Amino acid sequence: MSDAALRVPFPERAGAALKDAFLQEALTIATTKFIDLRKESFAGFPQGEALRDRARAIKEATLQHLDTHLERLADNVERVGGTVHWATSADEAREIVLRLCRDRGVRMAVKSKSMATEEIDLNEALEHAGVTPVETDLGEYIIQLAHEKPSHIIAPAIHKTKGQVAELFSRELHGEFPADPEILTAVARRALREKFLQADMGITGANFAVADTGTIVLVTNEGNGRMVTSLPRIHVALMGIEKVIPSMTDLMVFLAILARSATGQKLSSYTTLVRGPRRPGELEGPEELHLVLLDNGRSRQIASTLREALYCLRCGACLNVCPVYRQIGGHAYGHTYPGPIGILLTAMLKGDRSVRDLAHASSLCGACKDVCPVRIDIPRMLIELREHLDREKIAPWTERAVFRLFRRLLLSPAAFRLSVRAGRWLQRPFVHAGRLRGLPLLFGSWTRTRDLPAVASRTFREQWKDLR
Amino acid sequence: MTARAEFLDRIRREVARTPGLFGAATAPRPAQPAAAAETVRRELAERWPQALDRFRLEFERVAGVFHRVADLGAVPDILVRIARERGAGRFVTWDPGVLGFDAAPVLTREGLTVVAARAGQEDEASRQRHRADAAAAQIGVTGADLVLAETGTLVLLSGSGRPRSTSLLPDVHVAVFGRDRLVETLEQVGIVLESLHVDPPRSMSGAMINFITGPSRTADIELTLTRGVHGPKEVHAIFVEAP
Repeated sequence: MSDAALRVPFPERAGAALKDAFLQEALTIATTKFIDLRKESFAGFPQGEALRDRARAIKEATLQHLDTHLERLADNVERVGGTVHWATSADEAREIVLRLCRDRGVRMAVKSKSMATEEIDLNEALEHAGVTPVETDLGEYIIQLAHEKPSHIIAPAIHKTKGQVAELFSRELHGEFPADPEILTAVARRALREKFLQADMGITGANFAVADTGTIVLVTNEGNGRMVTSLPRIHVALMGIEKVIPSMTDLMVFLAILARSATGQKLSSYTTLVRGPRRPGELEGPEELHLVLLDNGRSRQIASTLREALYCLRCGACLNVCPVYRQIGGHAYGHTYPGPIGILLTAMLKGDRSVRDLAHASSLCGACKDVCPVRIDIPRMLIELREHLDREKIAPWTERAVFRLFRRLLLSPAAFRLSVRAGRWLQRPFVHAGRLRGLPLLFGSWTRTRDLPAVASRTFREQWKDLR
Repeated sequence: MTARAEFLDRIRREVARTPGLFGAATAPRPAQPAAAAETVRRELAERWPQALDRFRLEFERVAGVFHRVADLGAVPDILVRIARERGAGRFVTWDPGVLGFDAAPVLTREGLTVVAARAGQEDEASRQRHRADAAAAQIGVTGADLVLAETGTLVLLSGSGRPRSTSLLPDVHVAVFGRDRLVETLEQVGIVLESLHVDPPRSMSGAMINFITGPSRTADIELTLTRGVHGPKEVHAIFVEAP
């Protein structure tokens, strides 16, 4: 997300989303549908729960020897004729791809959906260097034509209507297209087919990379992942270091739960296993394969609070169930990765300071943890993150002062009783229908976006005393 | 660009700082992949009829079209019918040697055009020609190396005479397979892939493996399911009874 968008504070971004009636409806329909599809798919799959435990164990076990697995992955990719690049930062990753483009005279690159390339803002860098990046996932293509950013990890354009897409395609692709998803999809097929056949480079992410074999695994429904790894002469795959898994046996465990968690499918339409550039005897496939391994803040968390976030498969299930995401959508978060896991990934990649507000964009209800295919304890990490923001004095001093006061009151029964009595008297001007709204001074920023139950006329403790 | 050693050193240092969250192990690989794969094959030699029923059910669930014929000789007739029903005239196929049959005589007699990939062709001119042929074809005909029952999935290995685009560029993909290709579970696919990996002549003959579960699809515009966004709009599987 551009820095300009981030200059608007989070509460205002969220407020704007809440007032957007179409967005509200689109979010409800999309997230409810994804929740139902997921539920249905796991209901008919009794072994799913055990597979989730195994998948979680594989992620943890892999992290415990991440160095060894990455080394083996790199050795095996090179053994089958690929080239491995090591990028500590987003800058380095961009520079690696740009240099490949320069050295090989690349003018157009077709891309299959990749959150890692979004994370490093690769498209802007390519355009700046005179290379045309073409997003080929239909949702991403729409977003790119509209100069916007994805709003959901797996359904990037859920915030747009078919009417808006028709208007966009008519303008950008020079035609008169009706607001019919089938026709619009056919229009995109024609336009993008040409690009696939012309492009010099295909750029992908990786859902997994198998260390044993040096295999890069791409999961797509549209088939664009296959196009970009079969037709252009160069394939560049960019992946976060946490995507490595040891073996093909492990891969099957993940495949069994990934699509079910994301879209409720048993498997996505295409799972593509790429092992190096094309072999002697093959008519098709790239001459060169480059794997860029991206750290960008990940390794710092191996022994730190956000370790578990490194298990994430990017399935999007936690977005769909999150009461905050369901209300504000992906854009309001303001960063590449939205939703509950997005808050943690943003803290990982950009530092704690970047999620000063976002750390509170969760009710800690735990729905995210329940649906996560690898059972990431997101609420625990959010609480730790909040604690850290307080300890490091990143949280605003007003917030810290209020919580310090609150702590005092809770630690002393006498002070608590006194404060209840004082509160009952002080709250009078601010109580509307039993809720506290529009508090003054320090408390104002709290009640601007939420209300609180008013202190009861007779508290439980007071009633209890009478009962005895 | 960070050097490999420096990059890995940093990770090694971080890994050494923590015992991890809990004791955990990865999924155990089969100790003897080739033997394990042989066991799967033996079991399926008995159970293939059930696996085929399940495949058909799941394949049709993902909008696949299932056909069953007595022997390879009956396959070209099905291909002709598919072409006629769709007004399609151009075929691209894997090498007949790989497929085990040559549909060209029947198809050309019916006035249809067929281009077959030939194993061993890999010069730049053939490459360009094949790409143009594949892009112009409406129907692509391939085999299937594994047919996975529990998800309705066709698994195709790329290689000499088995181009990747045959199952991707045409509007219709038709895969032809026999009973020996059936497996029941993803776990069994894992075993077969582990055994493939320890058999370099086979595993090194092609760089891509595709799991295909129904036609290309998207729901990116208002969640409306639409088929054939980039790849095939239809996928057919022809089961050949004769072993």
